[in-house]
Amino acid sequence: MIVADKKPIEEIIEELGAHEKILILGCNECVTVCEAGGKKEVGILASALRMYFLNQERDVKIDEETLQRQCDHEYLEEIRDKVDQYDAIVSIACGVGVQFTAEKYFSTPVYPGVNTCFMGATEERGLWTERCQGCGQCILARTGGICPVSRCAKRVLNGPCGGSSDGKCEINKEVICAWQLIVERLKALDRFDDYEELSPLKDWSTDRAGGPRKVVREDVQP
Amino acid sequence: MGLQQKIEAKEFVILAEMEPPKGADVSRMVKNAQKVKGMVDAFVVPEMSNAVMRMSSLGGAMILKSKGLETVMQLNCRDRNRLALQADLLAANGCGISNVMVVKGEDPGLGDHHQARGVYDLDLPELLAAIDGLQQGRDMAGIELNGAPEFLVGSTVEAGARDKSPELILDDINRLGQAGTRFFITPPLFDLAAIEPVWKRVNREKTTVIPTVLLLKSLGMARYIARNVNHTFIPDTLIERIQGAPDKVRECIEIASETIRTLKKEGFGGVQIATIGWEDKLPEILKRI
Ligand code: SF4
Ligand code: SF4
Repeated sequence: MIVADKKPIEEIIEELGAHEKILILGCNECVTVCEAGGKKEVGILASALRMYFLNQERDVKIDEETLQRQCDHEYLEEIRDKVDQYDAIVSIACGVGVQFTAEKYFSTPVYPGVNTCFMGATEERGLWTERCQGCGQCILARTGGICPVSRCAKRVLNGPCGGSSDGKCEINKEVICAWQLIVERLKALDRFDDYEELSPLKDWSTDRAGGPRKVVREDVQP
Repeated sequence: MGLQQKIEAKEFVILAEMEPPKGADVSRMVKNAQKVKGMVDAFVVPEMSNAVMRMSSLGGAMILKSKGLETVMQLNCRDRNRLALQADLLAANGCGISNVMVVKGEDPGLGDHHQARGVYDLDLPELLAAIDGLQQGRDMAGIELNGAPEFLVGSTVEAGARDKSPELILDDINRLGQAGTRFFITPPLFDLAAIEPVWKRVNREKTTVIPTVLLLKSLGMARYIARNVNHTFIPDTLIERIQGAPDKVRECIEIASETIRTLKKEGFGGVQIATIGWEDKLPEILKRI
């Protein structure tokens, strides 16, 4: 899933400036799971903002809404009838949701209420860790199912580097060296021979080289 | 007089683009540059333009410098992060190169290594701020340098580009100027009218605008640019002129020389002559100006 983290409330207040009618817009998917942008967080942010404006003796209307998804036309259309009541939206969906909302409601300012961080997994409640950078050319088959692109600090494809020590990465003793994990997994799979093979030059054109990417699937297009 | 002094004295400067080789043999580059020694104020050494891999600008500039030629080193945002950019700026200055020109750099997808990752750690204004910081004796982390470099800094601006509004260009000039840019090189210019909206309004006291004069090589090239290169305007009359000329190459050389003469008369800060592969034609162009 896409993992996001809350933005400091001071930053959101600054974004909002002099707006007086504000809709806080959440999303029921990834950001709900990582407890940054779901219905519960919409409520918390809305209350915090109400308190702040009350203290400032400013009459600011704050409404709440949480959509199933903000990255689909279908759900975003649900607020079309009421968007005109607001002079700003704070979207606490991921960056995709913020942008899709802004594209759809072109003349309403849409501000991000979270920092979108990465694609990752819930290791335990309150702990999410990165697993994928969407490089567009997945090499997990060769690396024992562990991604060096997202999990190795240097993104080395023929690791480990010289900084790997006791299975930990040189950037931080808390960080497990991705290549240590790859080696262990390849051994467990009885595929250690694969490790000896040099990884071919990676084609980054499916990553960000070459501009924004798209996936076109004619087989499912209407 | 060096490039910097000439620019400060508002004298017309002649820059010539000198592509470093795709390979280690620098003899042709050096020979072509030496042929016009004394006729050119400085050689602009592009940094892998169009994202085509070749010898670095720093390398090319150092080689020309070692032959007693003044150079302008290019630095692009595409290939290096802030560490490497600062390191190369220090290296350049340590080797006596004091003219730099910052460019964004085309996306690797357009070049001959289209699977490469672009870096773009810094954007132009940030790179300019970094250069300013270095000149004040500190790196981007705020750490004091052992000896501050000094640079004459240039950049590019899309003045004369037919797809850009003059307001945006003037804005760019202001912003980059405030960030320390002392001269601005434009895309190829074939018609004064194309740059006029910017030229009329720019603060000429403060801004040195240096249009690029591109040597056309053939009628086909002129037609291709006219049709396909959005930012370059080639008037039909120019294409007809090449078409009607008995010796087309000679005519193209004459057009380049003529453009330089016109720009000088109009009071521009100078020209950058781009000959893309035909650097051996530089003496002929320069003889006629
Ligand atoms: S190799 Fe690429 S696609 Fe596969 S997990 Fe890593 S970043 Fe994601
Ligand atoms: S120590 Fe391991 S994870 Fe860290 S940079 Fe080196 S190879 Fe990558």
